[in-house]
Amino acid sequence: MSVYETQGFRMDNSGRRVVVDPVTRIEGHLRCEVNLDSNNIIRNAVSSGTMWRGIETILKGRDPRDAWAFTQRICGVCTGVHAMVSVRTVEDALGISIPDNANIIRNLMHLTLMVQDHLVHFYHLHAMDWVDVPNALKADPRQTSAIAQKISRWPNSSPGYFRDVQNRLKKFVESGQLGPFMNGYWGNPSYKLPAEVNLLAVTHYLEALDFQKEIVKIHTIFGGKNPHPNWLVGGVPCAINIDGDLAAGAPLNMERLNYVSQIIERTITFIDQVYIPDLVAIASYYKDWLYGGGLSSQNVMSYGEFPDHPNDYSPRNLLLPRGAIIGGDLSTVHPVDLRNPREIEEYVVHSWYRYPDETRGIHPWDGITDPNYVLGKKAKGTPTDIKELDEEGKYTFIKAPRWNGHAMEVGPLARWIIGYAQKKPEFKEPVDKLLGTLGLPVSALFSTLGRTAARGLEASWAAHKMRYFHKRLMDNIRAGNTATANTEKWEPRTWPKECKGVGFAEAPRGALGHWIRIREGKIENYQAVVPTTWNGSPRDPKGQIGAFEAALMNTPLADPKQPLEILRTLHSFDPCLACSTH
Amino acid sequence: MSETVYEVMKSQGITRRSFIKFCSLMAAGMSLAPSFVPVIAQALETMPRVPVLWLHGLECTCCSESFIRSSHPLAKDVILSMISLDYDDTLMAAAGNEAEACLESVMEKYPGEYILAVEGNPPMNEDGMYCIVGGKPFVEQLRRVASKAKAVIAWGSCASWGCVQAAKPNPTQATPIHEILTDKQVIKIPGCPPIAEVMTGVITYITTFGRIPDLDREGRPKMFYSQRIHDKCYRRPNYDAGQYVEHWDDEGARKGYCLYKMGCKGPVTYNACSTTGWNNGVSFPIKSGHGCIGCSEKDFWDKGPFYKHLSNLDGFGIEADADTIGLTALGVAGAGVAAHALLTGVKKSREDHESGKTKDSPSGPSGKDQ
Amino acid sequence: MGYKVEVSTVAPENDEGVHYIYEAPVRLWHWINAGSFFVLAVSGYLIAHPFPSLMGQASHHFLMGDIRFSHFVAAYLFGGGFLIRFLWSFIGNTYSRELFRIPVTSGIWWKDLAREIRWIFFLEKRPRKYYGHNPVAQSAMFVFFVLGALLMIGTGGAMYGEGLGEGSWADRIFGWITPLVGQPQDLRTLHHLGMWFILVFVAGHIYMAIREDIVGRQTSVGTMISGFRIFRK
Ligand code: HEM
Ligand code: HEM
Ligand code: NFV
Ligand code: SF4
Ligand code: SF4
Ligand code: F3S
Ligand SMILES: [Mg+2]
Repeated sequence: MSVYETQGFRMDNSGRRVVVDPVTRIEGHLRCEVNLDSNNIIRNAVSSGTMWRGIETILKGRDPRDAWAFTQRICGVCTGVHAMVSVRTVEDALGISIPDNANIIRNLMHLTLMVQDHLVHFYHLHAMDWVDVPNALKADPRQTSAIAQKISRWPNSSPGYFRDVQNRLKKFVESGQLGPFMNGYWGNPSYKLPAEVNLLAVTHYLEALDFQKEIVKIHTIFGGKNPHPNWLVGGVPCAINIDGDLAAGAPLNMERLNYVSQIIERTITFIDQVYIPDLVAIASYYKDWLYGGGLSSQNVMSYGEFPDHPNDYSPRNLLLPRGAIIGGDLSTVHPVDLRNPREIEEYVVHSWYRYPDETRGIHPWDGITDPNYVLGKKAKGTPTDIKELDEEGKYTFIKAPRWNGHAMEVGPLARWIIGYAQKKPEFKEPVDKLLGTLGLPVSALFSTLGRTAARGLEASWAAHKMRYFHKRLMDNIRAGNTATANTEKWEPRTWPKECKGVGFAEAPRGALGHWIRIREGKIENYQAVVPTTWNGSPRDPKGQIGAFEAALMNTPLADPKQPLEILRTLHSFDPCLACSTH
Repeated sequence: MSETVYEVMKSQGITRRSFIKFCSLMAAGMSLAPSFVPVIAQALETMPRVPVLWLHGLECTCCSESFIRSSHPLAKDVILSMISLDYDDTLMAAAGNEAEACLESVMEKYPGEYILAVEGNPPMNEDGMYCIVGGKPFVEQLRRVASKAKAVIAWGSCASWGCVQAAKPNPTQATPIHEILTDKQVIKIPGCPPIAEVMTGVITYITTFGRIPDLDREGRPKMFYSQRIHDKCYRRPNYDAGQYVEHWDDEGARKGYCLYKMGCKGPVTYNACSTTGWNNGVSFPIKSGHGCIGCSEKDFWDKGPFYKHLSNLDGFGIEADADTIGLTALGVAGAGVAAHALLTGVKKSREDHESGKTKDSPSGPSGKDQ
Repeated sequence: MGYKVEVSTVAPENDEGVHYIYEAPVRLWHWINAGSFFVLAVSGYLIAHPFPSLMGQASHHFLMGDIRFSHFVAAYLFGGGFLIRFLWSFIGNTYSRELFRIPVTSGIWWKDLAREIRWIFFLEKRPRKYYGHNPVAQSAMFVFFVLGALLMIGTGGAMYGEGLGEGSWADRIFGWITPLVGQPQDLRTLHHLGMWFILVFVAGHIYMAIREDIVGRQTSVGTMISGFRIFRK
């Protein structure tokens, strides 16, 4: 038993230990352990990433121009973002600048991911934490229809439509084969939605499943496939040919560009007429459940994203905000410098890796990934049958990244808090509007619900930005600019003997950075520090906890046998474990 | 009463006519004769749902992501009407013990009847603990669930070949599942990820016909994997004509010429991309201007670089490919020949000089004379 | 079959006669083989490193198609020739067998090999006379050519089967080779390396053949043309 204070939380592992493993409806393998006090309130939280593949190790000695494909396979859920960051990293190292069109197309592809990933997260990974699926059978479809028509102009809203879905669900449930809905925590008192709203949500679960596959076709057009489209150091591989010879055979021609713009328009409609109204409708029933704020009211960080113009990654050229907030002081947004060896450091004292000196952090340019799977002394079970982890020893494959020594929360909520703090109308106005609709104070943002809401607002923001960039692309083409790649430094003989670079993005789940060292045309060292590495971070040498752990603290469970609230809060981060450990 | 596939489609407002059309599309997608259409139709009309247990090892979840992108059939219809997806940690409502209980109950209720679908692979280093599920090595779960499965599907290049985590030096000893489940027929659906409609095509083939599709030597369904990208690539006429992209965004790139010189691995890659296309046929890598990187082939990660036709070969130092090795060997041989010729000349002129004097006569033949 | 493997075809020192060594089918095969190899190497190299691109419509050109066609025509000649040459080794004279059957169990042959190596490294004053191949030539021909040709026919045939499609004759005969060597790209790599392997042999082979004619005590190139070996002092 040990009790200590950190970041304003009182960590006490004396109570009853509850283990959730596997945490489902996330990407990858996550284990969570909490201690409950006698009132079933979480007083200690442990987040453990339980997979490791060694992609940083595998990258050593390879051609930097190939790195995007390897890093892309870090994750297929946030597919593309590691590839984009990788080509940015290599371009930074080699001093390659890309054409405007390449920047626009990359932005379009990344926005596509943002929207689709957020949408799938909300309906398919997160919704069942708030929506009681079987309860939808009790709904009156006419009332669902009335609600749907009140909150949105989305045309699929007739009573008959909802009745059909309800009948389908009924047959499904009656079949006795519940499939993915088997053993859910149905009927748990933490579910608050009326049956009619449950039916609405279930209906849109299915509709969103159908629609998300349309959004990603933008990746397919520019990158040839989704998941895992193709990228290129120096630009994009999809050459443009509008009215030249053989334009019909070109990767991008009039037909393709029209296809993209049509998908964009449909996406905007779906997000604004389905996702956002559903989000507001569901949130309005959970206004009292404002747990899970964790680090969000203290330390949040964003690297910024979407360079408006190519090759300029400075804050004023980035459409999503950049900076860090410390100690909840919204009046100051600190600059962030990924090259500064003292700003970003990773610790491994509680991670299954080895450093020469584990009391210290290492900047990723000098990063080491040397696995070392050992359990702490107080762990229960055996090394191949873990019953309980010992958080005083090593307990996860996730490293502990720190910014100027602070544990940070990253992700949509972080970005929107920073944008809000910077008083940028683009971010402040939608937040104020949403809070107004729900009748909640700004402080309500710092919660599980706030995280989920920020993601929705961001999906809408991103969908509209797609329209902006598509127009920019068409403007360029109209002006005769169709360049998509810069091949001046394609050949390794044009490269310096030794160089290093850093690339970053705001991935759907938060701040993502890759650091590279290149020597004699080969990768000498490659390190990634990933959003879920930040959020899922274990303790550091000072005992500071990461964002998952902090967010779980002090949450009451309605029924400790059904860890619904734990899932709710963990899911609000959209955890990606393949990303976090890579 | 289980809902059958047809009933579901009917409830979706799909007419009999479009249902039959759907069946013939399915038949065409599987390269089946039109006579199969009624068979498919009948199967879809009467079929209860087959339990599927979908496990995840070391992977990136993009096989799941691909699966949910299926257009025909829709992923939603597969999950609600064609199979019973009783375990899939990416989608299932339950977590922790309740999730594990789903596995156990299906294994108990339907021994020998469920399909095991595996995404990713088990690492064998560190006693399997580079991938831990429920506190234990993933490989244990894999073996246990496989023991009672009717069929095993290896989703993607991870389960089929090892994929990115098995690329050199394979730090975790990630191992393709057929090397673990040696007593099982493993259906490999390689690709990084596989095409969505290929994934659902294989599933529906099994649920429709009640048997596994014909497999090739490597265990891949012939219906999707018996041709190379190159064999059906729409840029093949440019390849044959000798028209290539020479640099990114050059005239050839804008005209859609062949990507062979940019390292396209289409000629060495078995997959359905150039026929089926991606995301409901919208495009495939080559159509969007990038070469195939060979993502459905064994160990394709170590056959790079991706932008050169010839692979780098290990153990010959930096940047060695078949040509550098061959040219070096030929150079050495040539130098040997030249040196030898020179010495021969020197020796001969010296001998001519001293001619007449024979110091030691050659020994007689040691072999037998005829 | 009533053939026997000659352990050595060393001729007596004093033999200054004329002997019929290479029968017509062997000679004919040799030059067809040499020619087809030349075409295969050039076309093969061009398959791996195509000419600079031609512009315009695809239907106006067929350059790579023609190069591949020449590769395949030459491959049929090379492969078919190899097969016939192998069959001939059961029918033809003693010397027709030397290419395929190395008398590795014979101590005498090994001694002769050593003697010949010493000669090549200038450690012997005078060369010996051979009716057929000298043991070094014989070993080189087996290791580099016979094994090399098998490699090329096997890997080339497997690639050819990929083009013809699953279940085609080439796929049925050679298809198993692909999983054996790894995967299709490995097949190409090996096939490509095999070209260099044989080219190394060819370089040494042509040099040695011509050298033999000049400094040896017997005809060499002429023998492969006329069939007759003429020994000199
Ligand atoms: C010694 C004789 C041969 C040589 C030197 C040779 C050389 C080559 C080379 C260098 C390549 C290009 C490989 C690459 O892509 O890197 C090639 C391709 C090929 N060779 Fe050969 N080859 C020989 C014999 C054969 C034989 C006997 C066959 C049997 C049919 C064959 C069939 C092929 C095929 C099918 C290709 C691939 C062509 C394509 O897909 O476009 N080769 N060869
Ligand atoms: C101008 C080119 C060539 C010349 C002058 C030449 C000459 C000769 C000569 C003189 C022999 C007989 C050697 C002896 O008696 O030991 C011979 C045998 C042979 N050569 Fe060549 N050669 C040429 C090209 C090639 C090429 C390109 C190849 C194969 C790729 C080749 C393969 C062989 C083989 C396999 C034999 C053994 C024949 C048998 O035992 O049936 N030669 N060559
Ligand atoms: N980069 C990345 Fe990630 C993470 N964490 C992103 O949004 O999910 Ni797979
Ligand atoms: S095969 Fe490729 S796409 Fe599928 S899980 Fe593995 S890495 Fe991801
Ligand atoms: S682009 Fe690739 S697959 Fe298509 S013809 Fe060229 S080499 Fe073959
Ligand atoms: S890279 Fe993969 S997606 Fe298809 S075209 Fe090549 S197999
Ligand atoms: Mg890292």
